[in-house]
Amino acid sequence: MQEVEILFEQVEFLVIAVIVIVLAYLALEYRDIVYAVFFFGVMASVVAGFFLLLEAPFVAGMQIAVYTGGITALIIFGVLLIPRSQDSTLEVIHDPRRRKIGLLITAWVVLLSAFLALLFPWVESFPASRPDLSQSLEMLAQWLWGTHGVYVQIVALIIFASLVGAIVIIKMEKAEHLHPLEESFALPPESPPQTAEVPELEAFDVEDDTG
Amino acid sequence: MIPLSWYLVVAFVLVGMGAYGMAVKRNLIRILVSAEIMGNGVSLALIAVALYSPTYSFTGQALVILIIAIAAAHTAIAMVLLLLYHRRYRTVDLGKAIPKEVATS
Repeated sequence: MQEVEILFEQVEFLVIAVIVIVLAYLALEYRDIVYAVFFFGVMASVVAGFFLLLEAPFVAGMQIAVYTGGITALIIFGVLLIPRSQDSTLEVIHDPRRRKIGLLITAWVVLLSAFLALLFPWVESFPASRPDLSQSLEMLAQWLWGTHGVYVQIVALIIFASLVGAIVIIKMEKAEHLHPLEESFALPPESPPQTAEVPELEAFDVEDDTG
Repeated sequence: MIPLSWYLVVAFVLVGMGAYGMAVKRNLIRILVSAEIMGNGVSLALIAVALYSPTYSFTGQALVILIIAIAAAHTAIAMVLLLLYHRRYRTVDLGKAIPKEVATS
């Protein structure tokens, strides 16, 4: 009976692996960029299946919620906001030297990864027995919010800072067009520095006279 | 039980595909998607190694949670930068970037 369960688990793994690799290929090579991003979102959802096989249901849920629901939707909206995003979606770098360097980097990453996955003695390093993960979510919450709560708060701050930074970067683009506003309000481009006392007194006098 | 090397093969195939896309593609959106594919591969490798380690801890899962959160943040920043790039150069192609002033003149 246990052999049947193991076989079923391995079949599940193979099906998920084939789907993930095909969807990743489509996300890289499909001509329409909107569909390519859509394939990436589906791929992220299917990767969550691996996390379920690895006894990490919370991470699987977070993967679906954030990657498929957040990141993919964000990229799709970005694509729709950019008028000419379809340009050169399948083109690769034409410069042969740069392309060669890119392919060399890719080959190096693949070779190193293949060495780590296939030749490194993982089996001798780790035992084959699976730990008891029946209380996985509770222990994860204790791990995260107990001794490592500061890291969660740092990540929250990073997300907050990135969102504020994104808004500020967009505003910076508008700030570049402020010079016509200065001219329309007849502000001198280089006004001499005013003293601190006199303008305030004048302002108060004006308010008193008008009131 | 599924061997660890199976998970690592899939994870590193994803990392390799992402590296290929980031190194060779010209479209910035495609490069961003490639980076996300690489991130998925790294997450898968981390959780698999953490599960199969002799002293099982939640470091792998916690790291992946942090990776997912930071991926959301860097995607937001990347999309804003991509919008600004498009406003300035009128394209999202790395090889066809022409400044707006030159394109309009």
